[in-house]
Amino acid sequence: MSSRRDRAIAKRRIGVNLTPMIDVVFQLLIYFLLATNFALGEQVFRLDLPDRGGSQQTVDPFEVVEEPLRILVESSSSDENGLRIRIDGPYPQPESLEQLERFLTENRAEAGIGYFLEDHPVDIVPNESTHWGHVVDVFNATVRAGYLKVRFSEPEPMTP
Amino acid sequence: MSQVHRRGPAQIEANLTPMIDMTFLLVVFFVLVSTISEVESVEMELPEPSPTASAPPTDDPRAVINVIPGDEGEALNYRLNGFDFQLGPQGIDGLRSRIIELYSANPELLINLRADRRTEQKYIAPVLRTVTEAASSSGRESAARINLVVITERDSSNE
Repeated sequence: MSSRRDRAIAKRRIGVNLTPMIDVVFQLLIYFLLATNFALGEQVFRLDLPDRGGSQQTVDPFEVVEEPLRILVESSSSDENGLRIRIDGPYPQPESLEQLERFLTENRAEAGIGYFLEDHPVDIVPNESTHWGHVVDVFNATVRAGYLKVRFSEPEPMTP
Repeated sequence: MSQVHRRGPAQIEANLTPMIDMTFLLVVFFVLVSTISEVESVEMELPEPSPTASAPPTDDPRAVINVIPGDEGEALNYRLNGFDFQLGPQGIDGLRSRIIELYSANPELLINLRADRRTEQKYIAPVLRTVTEAASSSGRESAARINLVVITERDSSNE
């Protein structure tokens, strides 16, 4: 008698209807799948910023201060054609990034018969309205040409 | 014959528990990941030098400074780890003290700089200057290291 009642109770299961929950969870899953944007393909240029008197530096009194090679960068528009490069000094002026890279590579002492050692300082001098993409392009060309000391100068005020 | 149908028609049920488990794990993963990437990654067109000499990012601890792009090469503000800083001297001061805080917590910190390719240099130069100043005033032994974030051609071409 009692065993039959026990069986009857055991059969009467209490169930929660999970269907709406699964529906909502799937909606959330799809939303996050679509909305998540991974930073794929991002790479970095590592840049050591100059030390500005924070720590004591020993200065070699016999060291000859090398005049940096200054590359002036201007933008007339944000696309690739808007880039203007000028090298300060009596050098052939490059028309494009490729020419700049060739000039820098050929004039590196290790690579060709050039004036500059690989640790010769190179200053990239943008003006205030130079687009960041162009600055990075010139930086990239200089690094690819094998120079180790590449710096960003303070932007020059606009010349009228 | 009637005995067969006494319990009603046979019911086939799939066991949904493992599926729900997996789905919940996925939901939690995407919730967490999207919160993290929202803090670090602001929608912008990064510079795309090609062929590039850049390297894949390392797993070192980092803080990301985003220069939030506006129209026509302008910038709206700077964002560091989810905090917004205005353009101009006041915002730059705030940015500097925040970077000094981060440096004193972790001297080996790397700073990633993300800026739109159209953003003009006058908005980016203050950031470089500020990181340099913050690094020297936080008493680090070595100079600050900054990572310029670019995007590689292969991945942006299928956008």
